[in-house]
Amino acid sequence: MTGTIKRARDSDRWLLAACLGVPLAALLIFFANPLATVVAYSLMEPDGQIGLGNYASVMAAPNFWRATANSLVMSLSTTAVALLLGLVIAYATQRCRVPGRALLLGAVALPLLAPSLVQGLGLIFLLGRNGLITKLLGIEINIYGFWGLLIANTLYALPQAVLIIAAALRSADARIYEAAEVLGSSGVRRFFDITLPNIKFGLLSAAFIIFTVTITDFGNAATIGGDYAILATEIYGQVVGQMNFNMGAVVGILLLLPTLLAFYLERVATERQFGSGSEAAVPLTPAWTPARDLPMTVAAWLIALLPVVTIGIVVYASFVWLWPYRFDLTLRHYAVKISGGYEPLWTTVQVSLGAALAGTLLLFALGFALQRLPRAIVKPIYLLCLLPAAVPGLVLGLAYVLTFNAPGMPWQALYGTATLLAVCNMMHYWTQGFLTTMTGLRQVPSALEETAASLGAGLPRLVRDVTGPWMAPTLVSVFFFLFMRSMVTLSAVVFLVTASVSVASVSIMRLDEAGFTSQAAAYATCTMAVVVLAAGLMRLSLRLLGRGG
Amino acid sequence: MTVMAMRTLRWSCCLTMLLVGSVQAGTVTAYTALEEDEIAAYVAAAKTALPDVALKVLRLSTGDLSARILAEAANPQHDVIWGLGVTNMLDPRIQALLEPYTPKGADKLPPRARGADGRWFAATGYMAAFCVNTERLKAKGLPSPRDWSDLLDPKYKGEVVMPNPVSSGTGYLQVAGILQQQGEEAGWKLIKGLDANVAQYIKSGSRPCKVARAGEFAIGVSLAFAAIQSVEEGFPVTMVIPAGGAGYELEASGLMRTSKNPADAKRFLDWTLSEAAAALYGRYKEIVTTPGYKPSAAFIKAGLPEDVSAALVRMDFDMSAKMRSAILERWQKEIGR
Repeated sequence: MTGTIKRARDSDRWLLAACLGVPLAALLIFFANPLATVVAYSLMEPDGQIGLGNYASVMAAPNFWRATANSLVMSLSTTAVALLLGLVIAYATQRCRVPGRALLLGAVALPLLAPSLVQGLGLIFLLGRNGLITKLLGIEINIYGFWGLLIANTLYALPQAVLIIAAALRSADARIYEAAEVLGSSGVRRFFDITLPNIKFGLLSAAFIIFTVTITDFGNAATIGGDYAILATEIYGQVVGQMNFNMGAVVGILLLLPTLLAFYLERVATERQFGSGSEAAVPLTPAWTPARDLPMTVAAWLIALLPVVTIGIVVYASFVWLWPYRFDLTLRHYAVKISGGYEPLWTTVQVSLGAALAGTLLLFALGFALQRLPRAIVKPIYLLCLLPAAVPGLVLGLAYVLTFNAPGMPWQALYGTATLLAVCNMMHYWTQGFLTTMTGLRQVPSALEETAASLGAGLPRLVRDVTGPWMAPTLVSVFFFLFMRSMVTLSAVVFLVTASVSVASVSIMRLDEAGFTSQAAAYATCTMAVVVLAAGLMRLSLRLLGRGG
Repeated sequence: MTVMAMRTLRWSCCLTMLLVGSVQAGTVTAYTALEEDEIAAYVAAAKTALPDVALKVLRLSTGDLSARILAEAANPQHDVIWGLGVTNMLDPRIQALLEPYTPKGADKLPPRARGADGRWFAATGYMAAFCVNTERLKAKGLPSPRDWSDLLDPKYKGEVVMPNPVSSGTGYLQVAGILQQQGEEAGWKLIKGLDANVAQYIKSGSRPCKVARAGEFAIGVSLAFAAIQSVEEGFPVTMVIPAGGAGYELEASGLMRTSKNPADAKRFLDWTLSEAAAALYGRYKEIVTTPGYKPSAAFIKAGLPEDVSAALVRMDFDMSAKMRSAILERWQKEIGR
């Protein structure tokens, strides 16, 4: 008997070690390692010395402080707007009865599966100086600059905020809400006293993600930002414009500073929460409450309309003879004039499946392990997991080249392969997946896990029978998030494609650079169609599996 | 063969390539910043001329490609650089990666199209041009500009877009062209004067033309290639080559010191100067350095002058490359958007 328990304990220990060790090794090799290269470049001075000279010259550069101020203003504004809108969408879909819930979530998620060119083009087609809405209203608004960039960044950050906030709102204990109601507290009061405190971690995580993805994003700034200089465009100017890696590395490292906020996030993560995730929780099924549900429906659908129209107009333009002059419909832009044709699209599907599958498994394992380890170990890993979002894609991609193409290193064999593309994408979006997983894990009732453990269930059983099923919806959303982003991301992989291994987003960029904007839109439409189709198939098979099991 | 079997075959090919990672004999990998459609035509023609050489091409924009080449410098993955803006090619760090080689036919090139030490040569080039949207001009009641100085007129305020020289090689070539043509003092005065009318400095060199053809702005200061392409696509655009002279850039090629297949790489570089290649250049390029070039009828129709060389500023590329950071620093201080 003791032998069995000991064996079980041993296997538990091994499982825990693997759950921690494998993701941690991946993080160290594929993130900390290239990041160290960036740090090294930032410290290498022009005369070969090691020091802080590059930092001094960046801070003395004419445009640096203005770009910093612009970046902060832009990121804080986007955080405020996207957090509020994200809360509305997440609350409407998780805690209210709104018609077309799945459709609503899909609409808001659209920017995740749209290449960044599409979003910029869509906004210009609508709100540009020669845009449809502009012409309809007969006024000339200037979309290029702060406002255009704010809209584009909000569109892009919104689904990522919804992902996390929805995970926080997913489970709730109806008993607490009923008790509050019996005690006479109003709906508004219940929202502020029960709901909000309970999703504090989710909200902070979402705010952190919105802020960091906004401050590092370059694609929107390049298409619609006009002359509004931000730090990401400074990096681009240094690295791509002037081939100055060291200065680019400095700005890249400085962009990590906001991640220090994560110290606070990690502390909140350890706070106990109440009201959800109890072992005896009664799931909350929102009753039809017109005073709450009607305005929420209108608000949520109004928000969802913007991405639908923005992306829809680009899809429409891909079928139009010559936007915006000849509107007869045609398929001619779908015969893309680019070497490789649609071939890279299939490579992209494979890369994205790999990134999503590996990412979801590693993140779940890591999250599971972190919940069972002492805080001294958890804290540094936690911070490491929050860094990837703060690294601009351009910096990550070049750091991958510098690191994984170094001769004589064991990982050099990976360079130039589709595998490295998948790994890079997984790391690029690691933080979003991590925070969503952690938010979801907080919902798993600890008492339930304790009970299972005291009944003699080892960790493998616990994962299979308690944590796994409870986490399934959150893990599925993490998987789809990673899959979608991996299908369309450009900024890092543009430096990792080779003459024989390329991806769809690079083809789209090349078509656009060659002047075939409508063909780029057509290619993007095909990519989005493949994502939607693949996501649909996977959802269907998941549902069938669920029924079978 | 069934689709399935073909897939499997393709996968196993990929897998072998991934695992072995080495280059089979007869493969030449070229990194290029040439344009998409011309690359396809050249690669097809090169395959006929060099049937035993498997030519692999990675195409990226000038800036992205330069960054890629420098990042890979410790372990280069390519055999040749094929058509990279010469101002970038002259960067000492890229020069250090190149092996001196004088391809067959290089003696026919003018001296300005060859590096003195044989590390690079240029068969083709591209030039600055204005993309002018005729519909928008008409709607605003504006005349078409003919030269840079016309763009100083306040009536064009907010209707001109230019590439940002800090992030775009095209933007820098325009600034360098103005400075080399007008001299430093008059050049900076012109640049500052233009600034008053410029609505936006865009991050890439071809995008100003794209927003102009879409009717967002009347005039996009960009490249002749982008203007001609827009005309051919049917946009209401005319190309204007600045009457006083347009800045230009040569597209340089060279052999990598680290090439694993230098024999075939040299044969390919020779081919880029062959008559067969030159015959194709006429169809795609507005600047060809090999002798006997006449622009195609389509180019003339789009607005290219018959004698292109007369329309070009005399560029000193060594100077452009050397002065780059000083000029950009001044630009950021005085224009600074």
